[in-house]
Amino acid sequence: MDERFSGFGAFILYTITAGMMLFILAPLLLVMAVSVSDSYFVTFPPQGFTLKWYAKVLQDRDFLEAMRLSILLALGTTAGSLLLGVPAAFALVRGNFFGLAAIKGFLLSPLIFPALITGLALLQVLTKLGSQDARLNLLIGHVVVTSPYVIRTVVTSLQLVDENLEDAARTLGANRLTTFWRVTLPQIASGVAAGGLFAFMVSFDNYPVTMWLANSEYSPVPLVLMRQLVNVFDPSVPAMSTIIILMAMVGVLLLEKLVGLRRALAA
Amino acid sequence: MRSSEVRLDRLCKEYNRTVAVDDVSLTIEPGHMVALLGPSGCGKTTCLRMIAGLIRPTSGDVFVNDKRMTDVPVHRRNVGMLFQNYALFPHLTVEENIAFGLEMRGISKADAARKVGEALNLVQLSSFGKRYPAQLSGGQQQRVALGRALVIEPAMLLLDEPLGALDKGLRESMQVELRALQRRLGLTTIMVTHDQDEALTMADKIVVMRDGKLEQVGSATEIYQRPTSKFVAKFIGASNLFEGLVEQRNGSGAVIRVSPELSLQVDQISPSANDVMVSIRPEAIVVEKVGQNPAAQRANSVMARVDQAIYRGFVSHYYLKTPSGGQIVVFEQNQSQQAGLRYAVGEEVVARWETPSNHVIARH
Repeated sequence: MDERFSGFGAFILYTITAGMMLFILAPLLLVMAVSVSDSYFVTFPPQGFTLKWYAKVLQDRDFLEAMRLSILLALGTTAGSLLLGVPAAFALVRGNFFGLAAIKGFLLSPLIFPALITGLALLQVLTKLGSQDARLNLLIGHVVVTSPYVIRTVVTSLQLVDENLEDAARTLGANRLTTFWRVTLPQIASGVAAGGLFAFMVSFDNYPVTMWLANSEYSPVPLVLMRQLVNVFDPSVPAMSTIIILMAMVGVLLLEKLVGLRRALAA
Repeated sequence: MRSSEVRLDRLCKEYNRTVAVDDVSLTIEPGHMVALLGPSGCGKTTCLRMIAGLIRPTSGDVFVNDKRMTDVPVHRRNVGMLFQNYALFPHLTVEENIAFGLEMRGISKADAARKVGEALNLVQLSSFGKRYPAQLSGGQQQRVALGRALVIEPAMLLLDEPLGALDKGLRESMQVELRALQRRLGLTTIMVTHDQDEALTMADKIVVMRDGKLEQVGSATEIYQRPTSKFVAKFIGASNLFEGLVEQRNGSGAVIRVSPELSLQVDQISPSANDVMVSIRPEAIVVEKVGQNPAAQRANSVMARVDQAIYRGFVSHYYLKTPSGGQIVVFEQNQSQQAGLRYAVGEEVVARWETPSNHVIARH
């Protein structure tokens, strides 16, 4: 749309947009505000200003251990879901085999299945298989939950790539693998990056699946946060939350800088 | 540059029991340019892609210089291919695009740079090496694609509707240019097109395809002047087609009765043919005023009324209606001093033509 809104229409549009932004952002801003409150309980409006809760959180060994676990888990999940999701997307878009549509529907299914059920089902399967390592179980669970995001973003960007580009590369002497690396991947880089970021973020704050697969030894951030919330609801919880919010923002800004977020999500 | 002979031997391709290419055998002589011509869905593109190695035939083989290529993967076949939408790599510059094939062949950077320079010269884009494809016009992009295909010194050049996306004027000048270059390099070339003018302009040999099968193979003149089927007669250029019965035989020829007012004299007809179809090209017919030619009841001549008259610059099109309702299309070349159309709509005229213009088509 080239025409710019003006007059009364513009006023309505901007008001509604501003309202929506406020609706989405207000809870986050609230959390950030109470995290610097100089009181022993979470109160609003915050009283005074202090960074002591951040100091406390950053010295809390449980929290730091959980952060380390969550970041490693999210990185592993990102790698795993990209390794599974990109070839799967390629097969879904370029392939031509019996049951393609059914498989497509199935691979995207965790997006509609409740994560809670997925987590429980995974726990049962992994227990039956005798998989005892919570870290491995978490990795498997998170890859299952996140690869549909990767598949979805990569499928949409792959659909925009002209197949003739690949054919041209092959006639020029590139085998399929070289063609993928040198020709296809540069075209879908934004989709892959967006899928990877989704995978990282979804893994990092996933609660429903994590809840089933974690144990007392290996608890990712969302579980630690919840435990803390139940025990003592002091401003260290909002401080932890703020750290996570900032991480998410950095991730989004990074993606915007690297490939352009609008390009990545338009895919 | 080497010239290769390409031979297709009983090539077939089926998709889920639909036959796309049905038993195609064809030999393309070294250095020739052959056009696969036909409507969309006739299997011409599938044929080209099987020659390239992008599609695996269901049965049959592709030979290049008598070497069986059917099992050789596309990236080892050394074919240069041009696509309708150019298929330039958008993330690479013009130079990098052209260098791609050289890089895949492991040619040293210095040699590659020299060859890229030569290729850019060949396609007259020397000053465009550092640009990206999106910064070029359609014609320039196709030149880059041509340079990219030629720089690898391919065994053959395959063109998949290469000029289809260009506008008319540019397309025609590119046709002539591409043909001249192909001749100069002596490169065996196979092109796919649905545009009969393109096929007539560029090809040594035209292969008309229909429903996956070869309909007729021949030079432009053969295909145009002596179509072997109604399909070819209608697909290549415009044609007046008359169905009739042999009325009287004279030597190797015959008089064919089309309607009460129209009979045709043909010079050559098979002795067994009785029920035939005759094609007459619109430009072979002369339109005259009534009364100018008193013997109107001779063969190859008919009274008609002008139904539509269209002035098209160097040529005028007349659509005539005969008394029994038949339509005759006439193309008449305009003279430079002529003031518009020679006949008006509704005018009674006589259409006549010479016997050699009557071409008998076998009826299927």
